Amino acid sequence: MNLQRLAINDEGFIFDPETGNSYTVNKTGLFIIKLLKEGKSEEEIVKALSEKFDVSEEDARRDLVDFVEQLRLYGLLEGEDV
Amino acid sequence: MYKVAVSGINAVDNPGPGVGIAKSLKEGALDVSIYGLAYDAMEPGIYMKWIFEKSFVMPYPSAGEEAFIERLLYIKSNYGLDAVIPALDAELPLFIKSSSLLESYGIKTFLPTEEQFKLRGKDHLPEIAEKIEIKVPETRIVTSYEELSKAVEELGFPVMIKGIFYEAYKAFNIAQATSYFNSIVSKWGYPVIVQQVISGEEMNLVGVGDGEGGHLGFLAIKKLWITSLGKTWTAVTVRNEKLFSLAERFVSNLKWRGAFELECMVSGNDVYLIEINPRFPAWVYFATGVGVNLPERLLKAALGLDPERDWDYPAGKLYVRFTDELITDISQFQQVVTTGEC
Repeated sequence: MNLQRLAINDEGFIFDPETGNSYTVNKTGLFIIKLLKEGKSEEEIVKALSEKFDVSEEDARRDLVDFVEQLRLYGLLEGEDV
Repeated sequence: MYKVAVSGINAVDNPGPGVGIAKSLKEGALDVSIYGLAYDAMEPGIYMKWIFEKSFVMPYPSAGEEAFIERLLYIKSNYGLDAVIPALDAELPLFIKSSSLLESYGIKTFLPTEEQFKLRGKDHLPEIAEKIEIKVPETRIVTSYEELSKAVEELGFPVMIKGIFYEAYKAFNIAQATSYFNSIVSKWGYPVIVQQVISGEEMNLVGVGDGEGGHLGFLAIKKLWITSLGKTWTAVTVRNEKLFSLAERFVSNLKWRGAFELECMVSGNDVYLIEINPRFPAWVYFATGVGVNLPERLLKAALGLDPERDWDYPAGKLYVRFTDELITDISQFQQVVTTGEC
């Protein structure tokens, strides 16, 4: 998983040491990326999101799918990582 | 104390590598005195006395080998000169051709061979690709409209239209391709390079080959901000194993000797070699700043000393170029104009 190589700070600044690209994410994005890096499944992340941000699992799942799609678009996730 | 001459001291909006090379040498462990080689009395390096102890205006390489060598021997006999680090494309053929002669006078260089220099030309990229199994964009060398239209038909739009030495444009149709072709021919002559467009991340790598298949260190960067002239103003260090592996193959297969810069495109798992520059890039001080003093290592190799070879630099170091000013007296300028040195 390409995510493993990323340097991520607590403010949501992400640096990819292999490509030199950098990104910023908000609190939610940072939360998701940390869980992805820990190898959590989609179900686990949806549950964690729903609890942490007090949203329905349906909303959490939709946001997660959106975000993961963006990560793929930037080449930060490959294939069936999630 | 070693006396070393460095060219490319035109620290202008299209900066030469000379100031970065000289700063690196100053910061190294060797005791050096640095001379600047300029082609114009206005080159800023001439006036940067805290870096260049003395500077000399050189005859253009196009004026011939004799005048050029004579000027270097003048410097040698009047002020002493142990080594030269040429940093401009236009000088390299002359320095390469004259390296044995200069050596016989006690002036050391560390340059690629004539064959290596020729092979790194844009028109020889496909040859290199075959020789060292490196991916390069599909390339056609054209000298006529017929060849141009055949090339774009084979490659498909968009294509890059490039001059043999300088300039590159992306063309999306035959009208644009023809117009760029004409503009390049009028400035740089034939042949013109037509190349497949590779999309991906552009990355650059600077290194010094030891001439025996090994190297004295690499530094890879991603440019973050370039000027309207395409010059690197902000960059970040990267560590990309695929890029390093390409560079290793380049130095080991060609037994490259001296400084080089590789311009590459990284596209997924593929790395394409776009261009090879046979000298240090203007941002070479970046390497020194992260602990890999390539100019000093090259100088050590030229002087027959044993250079360091470690290059374990960190990713995520930032390079920021900035402009600066200095105030001096017109007498300095007068001296350069009238005597050719200052």
